[in-house]
This record gives sequence, C-alpha cells and structure tokens, in this order.
Amino acid sequence: MVERVKFRVFRYRPEDGGRGIYREYEVPVKKGMTILDGLIYIKENLDPTLSVRYSCRMAICGSCGVRVNAIETLACHTQILELRRRLITVEPMRNYPLIKDLVTDMAPLFRKQKALMTWLIRQDTEEQENPTRQYLQSEEELERYLQFTYCIQCGLCYSACPVVSTFPDFYGPQPLMKAYRYYADSRDEGGVVRTRLVDRFEGVWRCHFAGSCSAVCPKGVDPALAIQLLRRAALKG
Amino acid sequence: MKERDLMLLHYITGIGILVFGSIHIATVFLTYPFQGTIWETTLRFDSIPYAILPVYRNALLAASLFGLLLCTTIHAMNGLRSIIAELIGARKRWVETLLVAVGAFLLVYGTRTILIANALV
Repeated sequence: MVERVKFRVFRYRPEDGGRGIYREYEVPVKKGMTILDGLIYIKENLDPTLSVRYSCRMAICGSCGVRVNAIETLACHTQILELRRRLITVEPMRNYPLIKDLVTDMAPLFRKQKALMTWLIRQDTEEQENPTRQYLQSEEELERYLQFTYCIQCGLCYSACPVVSTFPDFYGPQPLMKAYRYYADSRDEGGVVRTRLVDRFEGVWRCHFAGSCSAVCPKGVDPALAIQLLRRAALKG
Repeated sequence: MKERDLMLLHYITGIGILVFGSIHIATVFLTYPFQGTIWETTLRFDSIPYAILPVYRNALLAASLFGLLLCTTIHAMNGLRSIIAELIGARKRWVETLLVAVGAFLLVYGTRTILIANALV
C-alpha cells in the first residue's frame, strides 16, 4: 500500500546569500522506505537540484545525518511510516557551516578531534616503526572504553548539543567522547597530555549535562557519560 | 588558576552553600522561640536587628555566616563567568576582571556587615 507523505525540505544555496527556504514535495511512501529513500526520490523525480550526502544506506558510514522533525537522526536509519506524520520536516544538522541544502561542513568536528589528539599516543616509536609484538589487552581493559568505539562520527551529537549552539568554542560531545575513548585505552600513554587538553575553559567543564547528545546517538553511545568520566580524569590530573 | 581548580572550587563552594545555608536558615528558625515573636515578625526586615542579631552574636555562627558569604560569592562569580562567556561566545578579560572586582566588593561589604552585626566594630 502506498501512502503520500509531504516532505518539507530545507533548501539553501550559498550563492543566493539568504537564510534558506523550505520547499514541500509530495512523496509516495511504501513500507520500509527511509527518509533517505524519500530524499533520493525527490532528487530523482521531483527536484534534481536537491543536495543530500549519503553513502552506505545502512547506518554505518554516518554521512546522512539530518534533522527530521527537529530531532537529529540518520536519514537512512529512520523509516518514514514509523514517524506517523503526514508532514515531515527535513533540515540540515545544526552547529556546522552549511554547504548546500542538507549538506553540512563537518570540519569543526574533525578540527576539534585533532585538537584533542584523538589517536593512540605511545612513546615506543621504534616499536611502532618495526613492530615485534602485539599490544595485548584484557577483556576488562577493553570494556572500559568499548561502547565509545561504536561511534561512527556522524556528528549528530554535536548538532544536538545546546552548549555548542551558544558557545561554538566548546569542544562538543563527540570529540570529548573520543578523547575519553583513548584516555581509557590501556595501550594509550597520552593520558596526561589529553587531560590537560580537555581541562580548558572550552573543555569538559562547559558541558551542562543536557544529555541530548546521548539521546540522539544512532549507535547507542553515551557521550554525556564519557564527558563526566573525563571530568573525573581531569580532576585526578 | 587552572580550569579544573576553579571548577573544583565551584563544587566545594556549592557544598559549602548547602552546609552554611542550612545553618543560616536553621538559625533564623531558632530565633522564633527565643524571641517569642510570631514567625511573620521574625522574617520582617525591620524586625531583623532585634530578632536575629542577638542570635548571631556568637563567634561560631558569625564564622558560619562568613563561610556562607565566601562560598556564595565565589560560587556566584565563577558561575557568572561561565554563563557570560557562553552567552557571548568567548572569554573576555575585562568581564573576568569586573567579576573579581564585584566579588571582592561583596566580600568586603559582607564582612563589614557581619562584623557590625556581631558588635565587633
């Protein structure tokens, strides 16, 4: 059975210089169709100028993050009929510079990840150049940070964060969560450096624990928890 | 001062407000039976010198009042520092200097009031 659902899509062209407008499209919807399917239908049949970023279509790549009815979600992960609405508003993520329509520039997120050195820091450069053994880890050591490795860097948490909205210098949930992921990793030796980095005005202390980051994560990761754990780490020094 | 030290101070002063604030409120309550006035009169501003001051002429209570003043001032100024920076989107040196000055004024004026109330000056 086919239902008709109205898509209200945010349109923005940087060359127009305006604040963007909403355009409405009527989309025939079948059971199982996702928001991304609806957007692709619009692009293929109604308006080829619509820009939307996507890749895997199965909530793995994290490319298709948008706001659907004012809630951050992956377009490929949200079924249209499950929303039970005749009118669906699709907007780009907040807190990122807009490139076009639903496509945002993720550079601030990656810049902050880099600033927090979100990679394994080790002193044994010789071992890394010429590896002779594995870096072994116990199950308990893995469980300390395991849930945070499920992050697909879609950036939805960063978009949902009310602090980033008002204070753009705040590192944001995803970069801080990733910093904790490496801090808690027993193979990492950059704990002191990293806690010093997060212990800045724009660091962990600005989180107001709204919890919206954890609420919107499509992978069930809890960045709000990671920030609280990182606070404890920063207090310990 | 490092951000973590400031925030640790923020948490400690928050607990201090809870402790000293509870003592302060309890003291106000205690004035009622000792003064023999009705509750409404005890809380009326013009009755405060008569109702509360005698109770506060006690070194321990005066110290707790000073603790409340210190904790409230530090907690409030640090809270304002965060709120203002987040609202305007950046830290401003003049805002922080102003807050330190306001905090220092509140501490001096509050201390003077406590000393007067305790008949120490």
